[in-house]
Amino acid sequence: MAVFQPFDKLPVLNSATLLLVGSDRGLQQELAKAMLQEKKSFKISIHLATSLPLPSEGDHLRPRIDLIVFMIDVKTKYSLKNVEASLAHVAASFFLGKVCFLVTGVGRVNYCSVEMSSIWKLGEVYCSPVLYCELELERTRVATAQRLLRMLQICAGHVPGVSALTFNFMLRNSY
Amino acid sequence: MAEGGQEQQPSEDRERAMAAVDVFYLLRVRDQMKQQLLECSAVADADKAAVSHHAGKERPVQIAIEDYKKGIENEIVSFWTKTLALQRIQITAALRDKMKQNDNDSQLILEAVQDIVKLSEAIAAYQQQAREKEQKVADIQRQRLLLKKVGREKLKQIHDMMRKLKETQATGEVKTLEEMHTAYQKERKITSIIQNVLQCIIIGSRVNWAEDPSLKAVVLQLEKNI
Repeated sequence: MAVFQPFDKLPVLNSATLLLVGSDRGLQQELAKAMLQEKKSFKISIHLATSLPLPSEGDHLRPRIDLIVFMIDVKTKYSLKNVEASLAHVAASFFLGKVCFLVTGVGRVNYCSVEMSSIWKLGEVYCSPVLYCELELERTRVATAQRLLRMLQICAGHVPGVSALTFNFMLRNSY
Repeated sequence: MAEGGQEQQPSEDRERAMAAVDVFYLLRVRDQMKQQLLECSAVADADKAAVSHHAGKERPVQIAIEDYKKGIENEIVSFWTKTLALQRIQITAALRDKMKQNDNDSQLILEAVQDIVKLSEAIAAYQQQAREKEQKVADIQRQRLLLKKVGREKLKQIHDMMRKLKETQATGEVKTLEEMHTAYQKERKITSIIQNVLQCIIIGSRVNWAEDPSLKAVVLQLEKNI
């Protein structure tokens, strides 16, 4: 399966699924832990992947993915390239609010090896919000986890009256 | 490619959810389902509209066919890899069974296996040696680089030293010249004062200096400015 679609499976009752795509395993795990520690009223499952496409073997076991978070590390150019390569395997309808870019390591701009303008452009081209955070600090990590949880809740359709697309438009208009 | 597949669902979450099945929970879930139904139906409508829009064209169909072809190819590849793995497993199992029978053939197989093990051990040892040698080469290169750096710094220091030395020499010469000049000025002032004093003494002594030629010479000498 080359591309994967947002609406090819039915949602599971009162649960949401997040897919974290990024080259740094440790950061992914920390973020996932922080998200699981948050209080929430629904079931959450977090899938970690270093790149897309996902192997087609476990495809029938995988629940519907509600939100894809692409993690870009400012310190390595490889992470950006990896994300750009992975984006080709995502269906166009996913970009209607179900994708977001998470830029990590913003606290150390001295070691920055990725151009900020290219990240901006990425967000513009793919019509998706770009979040900036520093995952190695506890407080920002928790805040990011809360933010992502809220987005996930909206993207999974748990908030009546707000769809992922509306939320995306609101977020983009506020820039 | 690797998917973590870590579905970290704490069981307490489920228990709490089970305990919390009350009217509010049901209402909330009903709202959720309504929202999800709305989204799904919106997508379905959009797809239907897109399909009817493209009804005359064959492009989407062709794209779909291409996708399916790719899918079939992928499936064939994965099937082949799986069969290969299975065959390998079967062969190893057969070999193991054969070795357990302990007859002539199995002796041969055992010897072959032992040979293979020896050879692979030798290969591993040589690889280890090669790695050590590479490590040594890398170390030496690093040392050379370090030495080069140090040499460059030393050269720089020497240049600096030379420059400083020249500068100090130049400044020293200027200083001595200045000192000499000030000493000369001082001496000139002192001599002019002495001249004036002598002149005053001669004039004050009321000696007619014009009569004595030697005295006259002295007084006229004193008139000269140095």
